[in-house]
Amino acid sequence: MASLIRLEKVSKCYHSGEAAEVYPLREVDLEIYHGERIVLLGKSGSGKSTFLNLVGGVDIPSSGRVFFEDLNITSLSAGELAQYRRKEVGFVFQAFNLFPTLTVGENLMLPLDLLGISDERKARATLDAVGLEGQWTKFPEQLSGGEQQRVAIARALVKEPRLILADEPTGNLDVETGNLILALIDEACRERSATLIMVTHSSEALWLADRKFRLRSGKLVKEAGGPTFNFSTS
Amino acid sequence: MSIATLLKFNLRYYRRHSLLSLLCLMGISLGVGVVVAVELINDSALASLAQSVDLLAGKATHSIVSGYGRIEDRLFAEVWKNRSIQSASPIIEAMAVTLETGDEPLQFIGIDPFLDAEFRKLTPRDWTTAQLTEFVAGEIPSAYLSQELIRKYHLGIGATLTVLTAGIEKKVRILDGIPPRTEKGLGENMAIMDISAAQEVFGRQGYLDRIDIISGANVHDLVRSLPESLKLTDANSRKSALNAMLYSFQLNLAAMSLLALFVGIFLIYNFSMFSVLSRREDMSLLLILGSDRRGLVGAFLAESLLFGAAGSLIGILFGFLVAWLSIDKVSSTISELYFYVKAQEVHLTIRVALSGLGIGFLATLLGTGLPAFEVAVTPPVLGMKRQSIEDRAHNLKGLLLAAGFVCFAAALTAAWASRFSIFWGFASAFGMTLAFALFTPSILSPFTHYGGMGLKRIFGSLEGFLAARTIRASLSRTSIAVAALAVALSMTMAVDMMIYSFRNSVTQWLEGSLQGDLYISPATTKWDHPLPESLIAALNVDPNVEAVERYATYDIFLDGKPVKLRVVDGSVLEQHSRFHFLKGGKGAWDALKAGGVFISESLSYRFGKDVGQSAQLTTPEGQSSFPIVSVIRDYSSDQGTFHIDRAVYERIWKDHRVQSAALFLKPGASVDAVRRSIVAQFSGLDRTIASNTRMKEDILTIFDKTFATTATLKGVSLLVALLGVATALMAILLERAREMTVLGYLGLTPTEMGKMNVFQALIMGLAAFCISVVCGLILTYILIYAINYRSFGWSVDVHVNPWVFVKTLLLTGAACLASAFYPTYKLTRTAVVGAMHEE
Repeated sequence: MASLIRLEKVSKCYHSGEAAEVYPLREVDLEIYHGERIVLLGKSGSGKSTFLNLVGGVDIPSSGRVFFEDLNITSLSAGELAQYRRKEVGFVFQAFNLFPTLTVGENLMLPLDLLGISDERKARATLDAVGLEGQWTKFPEQLSGGEQQRVAIARALVKEPRLILADEPTGNLDVETGNLILALIDEACRERSATLIMVTHSSEALWLADRKFRLRSGKLVKEAGGPTFNFSTS
Repeated sequence: MSIATLLKFNLRYYRRHSLLSLLCLMGISLGVGVVVAVELINDSALASLAQSVDLLAGKATHSIVSGYGRIEDRLFAEVWKNRSIQSASPIIEAMAVTLETGDEPLQFIGIDPFLDAEFRKLTPRDWTTAQLTEFVAGEIPSAYLSQELIRKYHLGIGATLTVLTAGIEKKVRILDGIPPRTEKGLGENMAIMDISAAQEVFGRQGYLDRIDIISGANVHDLVRSLPESLKLTDANSRKSALNAMLYSFQLNLAAMSLLALFVGIFLIYNFSMFSVLSRREDMSLLLILGSDRRGLVGAFLAESLLFGAAGSLIGILFGFLVAWLSIDKVSSTISELYFYVKAQEVHLTIRVALSGLGIGFLATLLGTGLPAFEVAVTPPVLGMKRQSIEDRAHNLKGLLLAAGFVCFAAALTAAWASRFSIFWGFASAFGMTLAFALFTPSILSPFTHYGGMGLKRIFGSLEGFLAARTIRASLSRTSIAVAALAVALSMTMAVDMMIYSFRNSVTQWLEGSLQGDLYISPATTKWDHPLPESLIAALNVDPNVEAVERYATYDIFLDGKPVKLRVVDGSVLEQHSRFHFLKGGKGAWDALKAGGVFISESLSYRFGKDVGQSAQLTTPEGQSSFPIVSVIRDYSSDQGTFHIDRAVYERIWKDHRVQSAALFLKPGASVDAVRRSIVAQFSGLDRTIASNTRMKEDILTIFDKTFATTATLKGVSLLVALLGVATALMAILLERAREMTVLGYLGLTPTEMGKMNVFQALIMGLAAFCISVVCGLILTYILIYAINYRSFGWSVDVHVNPWVFVKTLLLTGAACLASAFYPTYKLTRTAVVGAMHEE
């Protein structure tokens, strides 16, 4: 099976203080396949978000290469990376990151507007799909935390990206709401055959993973729990 | 937690936001600097004036001056005989340019060296008989010149100076330099002559300008014993009279500088509020941890004092520099419009420094105090929520709108009250700008809401839509920046429109009152240089000349205040001019020729005189009453002018001098040919003979120069306001970093983010422009009817110039783009993840 994402000897180094160098990722190799759901575990500061940023084209590695299918995204310019994110990647954040000044509908339309698509019907349908019918004209602050995260998921899904990157999507929610959100993400990715990479530091989300990895000292270590797909990691 | 600890905590903030801090510091410095500069310039001009009056007064206790501008020679003997007077010295004072020193005028003082020795040391004590003989009875008139002048123009002792009086060349030999100790403080452009030589050179034979005296007796006795046409004055009252002449000019300068400060306060408030509110969460956290509110507010106030002190100190230095650089220009404007003054030095006095510091502190305290207090009284839990700041700003809109309407009503009331004091005129202008500043949030909110939707739907601009929404989302900040810009723009437009209207009114007045084909020596009316009688005689018989209008203007007193008396040929002007009669136009010329006077509207306004009343003027025969027959529009002097018919004047004042002449040529006569023929007969007149067009151009050039300083101050206000926009954009960048990052995650390219930032600046600029169009038009009327008229007594017809709007719009656009440059550059250079890390 062809991979959607391929990391080749990817390292990321940050300079901390005068001389100290911190490696959240060190020579990571990984292939992620179409429609696969990956859960990435790790302690705070272990490099989970760095991993997502590199795959999402938000950050560039210090060394190594990241491919989206055959496209080497590490060689893209800032503008090309923005285009890549715009078309192919949907982000879901822990803090929802909805625009407080835009209505729910305007938040949802934003990714479509960026693509030059003025398909309000599609956006409304996506909102309905996350169970928020009738909330189109409300502002984010008028919704509960769980509802805001649903809007954020709808915003990530509305442009039908092939890759969904979720960074601690349940971190700001109670357990019950968090589980509902995870189920929603799982269902949405299955329906759209989207590839999901979810970063978390809790074990609540492990049930939806095809593969689980843990980041330790910059290295990606596979966790037990049976693969559904073939994969290779070193 | 102690205030010192909290202060340290706060000061670190400034280090982290160094550029923003620098912009704000510049705002304080510019605002304070302009006020300080104007104060220093005004002080310096007045100090130089006072010093020269004092030094020239020497030991004189008083001066005797004439109520109609000159003292007949014969009266000196009468004064000299007065027992109350110990010593007396006759004086001639004249201004003139010379070929050797160019356009810079020289001040000539004519003295009697023997009588004057008791008063001052203007001539050497140890002079030789030959020197003395040459000074008082030389073949050609001679003068002692200031050493500085000799050095500056490389003039040689014994060389000849060519003095121009009414364009005619008069030779004056340079005897030597004025004794250095005397010269100090007198100014560099001084020349001392013997009184009879001065009378001859400046055409004042038989007249004195004043008599300085040393009086040992009771002043009241002295006043009683003087002839009715003479009055007693002293150095202080001369200074007061000169100061009074400058009052309007200085008031306008001060008002423009206050405008810059007013705009500066917005900027300071904007930054201070941002700096306090961006630490709102920290403050709320500190309150939750147990810090007391008083300590927190105290720390912010201490911080603002430090910041205000730094900004004010820089501002004072900046103001000093501006004053030092522009003192020459302002001096020459005063000299051009009022009287000769040569201010060379600027001294930073403790009073000016303290007022600069005080203004800076006050503005910064106001800017910091209000938001710090707001945070301190907000429950800490609410303070932790970022959105609550903006919610409050949106909720406050209604209250601010109501306050705006109160200010609007107060400003209109103040405009009405300006008839009682000019103070209310300025209060009205500032009240009106404040009203529109308070309206700004209520205007900006729907403007950006619908503007954003329009940009997206009509132009398909997502960046524009997001920019408009971001402005609306940061209303607490953006409305202040927009208000500051709107205030500066509306004042700019109003001042431009006022100047345009003023210029148009002056042009119309010139068209009506100056219809001569040629003008001879118009500039000398300012300096009282009479034209040769032979020239007037020649003009009267020139076959190409249909009529000659003979002008003269003299400084006289009305109710103890200086005014102008303009002598005109009523019968000539009746035929050849179109005076703008504001009152009493019917039969005005006949009434003038019959012994009445026209008064300018400024005189009418200042002295409460009107048609039907009479004016008491001092004549050689004593006080005479002249019926006021008309009020005319006349922009030649803000002190006020009487127009009197020459025949009446000559009969009463026994004075036939003419200072300038207007020639009305016969149909078909060539202006150039007549000009050439006059110059051929009277060499030197080519310098001062001007065509109608040139004459008007020269007057308008002086007009434009008068407003040059205003334009500079206006520019500074605009610069301060633009710093406000730049600060607001930077603040948005810092505050909205998280949203910018999310936009980056969603796929907005750095260029698109930059575009969004540029849109923000342009939308803010456009909003400010729209507000300022309305505010500026209202301010134009306030400036013209409540300030200009009350300051100068001149009415001006309002002329709306569409180009002013276009120019301001273009300027705003360009300036907003400039202010957006750095924030945009920064934004396009910041990686998405970088912003996330900063956040």
